[in-house]
Amino acid sequence: MADKQQTRKEKELGLSGFILRPMYITMKQFIKACVNRPQTVLYPWEKLVLPDAFRGRPGLIFDKCIGCGICMRICPNRCIDLVEVDDLKKNEGEPVKKVKRPRVNVGRCMMCGYCAEYCPTDAMIVTPDYELATYTREEAIFDPYKLQHEWKPGYEVHIEEVLPSEVGKKTTPSRRIEHKDIPEVEDKKCIGCSRCAKDCPVDAVKMVEVGVNEKGRPIKRPVFDSEKCVSCETCLEVCPKDALIMKEVL
Amino acid sequence: MYLDLWGLVGGLVHWLMVDVIGTILNWLHIYALAEWLGSPGVLNIVTILVVALIILIVGMLVSITLIWQERKMLGRFMDRVGTQVGPFGLFQNFADAFKVLVKEYIVPNAADRLIYPLAPILIIGVSMAMFVTIPYSQGFYMSNSSLSLILTLALFGVIPFAVLLGGWASNNKYTLIGGMRAAAQTCAYEVPMLLSVASVVVLTGSMSLMEIVTYQQENLWLIIPLIIGFFVFLISMISEIERVPFDLPEAEAELVEGWGTEYGGMRFGLIMMSEYARAFVGSSLIALLFLGGWDGLLPEFIPAGLWFLLKVLLVFTIFIWARAALPRVRTDQILNICWKRLLPLAAINLFIAVFFKSMGWF
Repeated sequence: MADKQQTRKEKELGLSGFILRPMYITMKQFIKACVNRPQTVLYPWEKLVLPDAFRGRPGLIFDKCIGCGICMRICPNRCIDLVEVDDLKKNEGEPVKKVKRPRVNVGRCMMCGYCAEYCPTDAMIVTPDYELATYTREEAIFDPYKLQHEWKPGYEVHIEEVLPSEVGKKTTPSRRIEHKDIPEVEDKKCIGCSRCAKDCPVDAVKMVEVGVNEKGRPIKRPVFDSEKCVSCETCLEVCPKDALIMKEVL
Repeated sequence: MYLDLWGLVGGLVHWLMVDVIGTILNWLHIYALAEWLGSPGVLNIVTILVVALIILIVGMLVSITLIWQERKMLGRFMDRVGTQVGPFGLFQNFADAFKVLVKEYIVPNAADRLIYPLAPILIIGVSMAMFVTIPYSQGFYMSNSSLSLILTLALFGVIPFAVLLGGWASNNKYTLIGGMRAAAQTCAYEVPMLLSVASVVVLTGSMSLMEIVTYQQENLWLIIPLIIGFFVFLISMISEIERVPFDLPEAEAELVEGWGTEYGGMRFGLIMMSEYARAFVGSSLIALLFLGGWDGLLPEFIPAGLWFLLKVLLVFTIFIWARAALPRVRTDQILNICWKRLLPLAAINLFIAVFFKSMGWF
């Protein structure tokens, strides 16, 4: 071991190690940079070729979005909120509908793509836009119309997962939307106000009469359609008595 | 083929002073002034001033070109582009010069009021004065003294004194250490440099740069018999002009900017410029002493001055290459290299020169 180190030291030091070899290496590099072109990319005029899986700012496909707010809740930086805007779809003769759509503060966004990954309808996409510098902070807040982006095949994020209970059972991984959490009612707390049914973005909640109370009025309880539900937790948020909990799929 | 600078400027000045101004003055009946302007003394002085101005401008331009060459080539050595302003990045240095020109002139509180402004004047003046002795071709020169080689090396000897003054007057630990190092290093490296120059003088029998080049044109380039001396002179010259790997006086990692730390604005710019002026003088000395000066192929078609400048750029390329490749030597190593390696080699080289001369081979 000691002999090895000795020989290595002798090889690396001295005339060849300190002078000749560095001179040779730099001259090789010089000729390479003269024959080809240097590594530098002159940015404003030239741009790097982006990889296929590049994640830039989030984009929105306006008509696909159902305004469920999952993106708002999943965003790690809390840069998404829902705003009410005029719908782009116009039926003749009818007044323009108000719909909820996400608004993104791109200045705070860290381009993680969670919103696109968790979106139940793939309305959120990741776009290759990365030149997001603005003169004011207000310009960096993208409203739903500005957030729209052209759709292309690679822009959706599909991350497939296996449930913890199915690990080792050779099940094929599937998307999160295919095994979803469903809300459940705690019967004692519920007052039957049916706000969950009103606010559900996909109309998956139906109020069902389960009986009659002392004064003779009907008692209503929500029933959740597991096919339609996107497990967005909007009903949990609006419930005035915290009577709903998510039943997690494990 | 070469440009006869003195003939050209002398003719132009004579035409202007005698044929144009003199005629006008004669027409105005001011005969005494016309006669005075046409007298040989006045014509001589004006010619000398114009030639000196031309030589200064050419030297500055070549120095700026050297800076451009260094920035561009170092960029290629490091796999980047280098300067970008203007065609091929040629205007970057002028942009930088303008930038430092409009900067504020600050004198540190602790600095010596008298010497602090004087030291850069000394450095810059001495560096620019070295252009005087460098001949570009048979006709393009400022002075053709028989001791021009000695004069150039003597001017090199003034630099460590001025640097030490500047470093001391700034009253800062970095500048003082940098000035000390510069003085020690440049004084030490003058010994092997002068010894290798002595071997050239022994072979050619002259101290005039013009005659040394003439000797090489008639016989052979001195790099062939004095290859050891060439390398000794090259290494000593790199040390003398304080370039990497001998840039101890302004080691950026240890001393902020070395002895020039406290100088800002155009003073900094001119000190930087004067370093490249000295680099130009150093590379042209190597070209003149060992590489045959303006001696080149096809003297009828390619001008002699162009050959000379080509060789200067080639020598400077070696400097840049060394800067890109080599690490900085330590303070204790630098004098070891000088006294233990270069001085014996220079002595051997001198023996070889004396041997060749005494055998009558050259």
